[in-house]
Amino acid sequence: MEQRLANSWRMTVNEKNFIQTALLSDLRTDGRGPFDYRNLTIQFGSEDGSSEVQLGQTRIMGFVTSQLVQPYRDRPNEGTLAIFTEFSPMADPSFEVGRPGESAVELGRIVDRGLRESRAIDTESLCVVAGKWVWSIRIDLHILDNGGNLVDAANIAALAALLTFRRPECTLGGEDGQEVIIHPPEVREPLALIVHHLPIAVTFAFIGNESRVIIDPSHFEEAVMGGKLTATLNTNGDICAIQKAGGEGVMQSVVMQCLRIASVKAADVTGKIKKAVESYKTIRDLKNIKRHPDSVDINNISKDMEKSKLELEKTIDSQTNDMEIESHSSKKDESSWRHSKHKAVIGRPSSWDPYTKVADADELKATLASRAVATPDLKTDVMSHEKQELNVLVDTLRDADPSPLLLVAAEAREEKNKAKTLLDAVKPKHKRKKKNLSNSNGS
Amino acid sequence: MDIERAGGRGANQLRPIDCFRDVLSRAHGSASCSQGETRVLAAVFGPKAGTKKNENPEKACIEVIWKPKTGQIGKTEKELEMILKRTLQNICLLSVHPNTTTSIIVQVVHDDGSLLPCAIHATCAALVDAGIPLKSLAVSLCCCLTESGQILLDPSKLEEQKMKAFVCLVFPSSVNSVLPEESTPATTKSTEQEIITSLTHGVMTVDDYFHCVEQGRAAVAPLSNILKKKMRSQSAGKSSKAA
Repeated sequence: MEQRLANSWRMTVNEKNFIQTALLSDLRTDGRGPFDYRNLTIQFGSEDGSSEVQLGQTRIMGFVTSQLVQPYRDRPNEGTLAIFTEFSPMADPSFEVGRPGESAVELGRIVDRGLRESRAIDTESLCVVAGKWVWSIRIDLHILDNGGNLVDAANIAALAALLTFRRPECTLGGEDGQEVIIHPPEVREPLALIVHHLPIAVTFAFIGNESRVIIDPSHFEEAVMGGKLTATLNTNGDICAIQKAGGEGVMQSVVMQCLRIASVKAADVTGKIKKAVESYKTIRDLKNIKRHPDSVDINNISKDMEKSKLELEKTIDSQTNDMEIESHSSKKDESSWRHSKHKAVIGRPSSWDPYTKVADADELKATLASRAVATPDLKTDVMSHEKQELNVLVDTLRDADPSPLLLVAAEAREEKNKAKTLLDAVKPKHKRKKKNLSNSNGS
Repeated sequence: MDIERAGGRGANQLRPIDCFRDVLSRAHGSASCSQGETRVLAAVFGPKAGTKKNENPEKACIEVIWKPKTGQIGKTEKELEMILKRTLQNICLLSVHPNTTTSIIVQVVHDDGSLLPCAIHATCAALVDAGIPLKSLAVSLCCCLTESGQILLDPSKLEEQKMKAFVCLVFPSSVNSVLPEESTPATTKSTEQEIITSLTHGVMTVDDYFHCVEQGRAAVAPLSNILKKKMRSQSAGKSSKAA
């Protein structure tokens, strides 16, 4: 008993009074205003569906995996969604390994409610064979560093991981047509989940006798606060969940004010998540083409264009107008690149680039040191550089191998230059579907 | 005869190693190590008061918690915890802080082969970051054996699954191995002949095993130089994390 007390951290009376007095003048210990969020960075791992979110000092990792399971009896044509939160002892010396404590359970429930009951994830599209096989999505949230406000950061990590997760495509086959064949990612491009909206959790802390409200409490402020309110809302103006489990009583007007502030912050955070996911998608699309390291000769270019076209179709299905066009150009860039044997420095710092010569260890170390903090901005700069070379190289490709697929891709590029309307988006999709059918019949 | 490896790596070529210290704010010491695509995060808390039951109170106790990426904690995780704990017990100076517990938490971020070596490097860096007194650092390497008897160093996940057998070795890496040629060859040889941990999967002949050990030992000096350089290159000043 004494050992546990000796090892735990407790806040001193001085620190508590300091925080409360500073708040009376609207000052917080890290220099923020009462309604300022800390710095939010969202990074993605090398696999689909893995995200790492840093909100100030708080660090959380999210992993999404999927599995084919039998559905629940009362919902035979819906997939399932499960959230597992791990309060790792690495985050806080008071977290213990083993059964989750009450704050871990509460966090899991808040994130779960925001996603499941607001129907943010479309579970009906996860059904494969009604009553027999559905996809079960599992979200693991690992708390790495407890710098306060774990709920918000965990929510963002879960959303970021879900947006970048790809589940394998499966078709019905076999003798009786009831067998489910799961296609590995090399054969068929995996599919994204259908996410209708993004529920963002915003946490408010009430500190002191006058119940001053602050947003995004750090862990010092959490130790001092008298009550906490978490509001989960989306940019459509819907309130997905509100959690206020006990603590100090607050006036109705204060709660309404909190909700108004929360809707502003939710829009902000949604924008940041979407931006991070888009830049990750472009990097990932580039990496996808590099997955097929065939020799670079004319015969293979049509094969590669086929593969990239399949990928294109999938990306079009899952993305918006603007992203469509971007992924077009990024894919064409990559294949035209390989044709002209460009050596480029793309991909994450620790990934092997099969097209550069085998570098010796020192060179690699030097480049690693310089690229250790690779930001998405660097990648987008490389992307724009590629786009400039696009026009020159597509012409050479057209001369080299006038396959119908290439022409379709070129047409799509020309359409990009005209004003973008919904019709433009719809037309190429249908064209591509017909071509795909003919190809699959032929192959 | 020569097996072709992904990315054109040679048989004796390791993937790029990167190591960052002080990545977490609450932990007393933390480090993140990546070897190729494999990434491991380690955090150290300690020394804390008291030892666990059945542990010798006259020495410090080391506690390892291994957290996999997804899924429940099962037997493989418990085995890895035990391996890490015994390896670290050899490296740490246990008599400096008797009747204390040092907790080490290892989180797997991505596993692409050579997971245990990566974890050991991350743990050593985290222990250095926390200021736990160590006898020496540890350097670890994974070697796999192909059907034709060729030895490949630092296999990726696909290679590990395809190969006949693979072995993971941990060697101590002391000050002597970092000093340039002034140090007497006798002292360096005596420390480098030790193998702290050896873990094999699959079947291999005795000769093959010793060939792997030779390859591993040859890689110890350059590997430990790289790791020490990475650890040293971080900023020297760091505020106390006792609070």
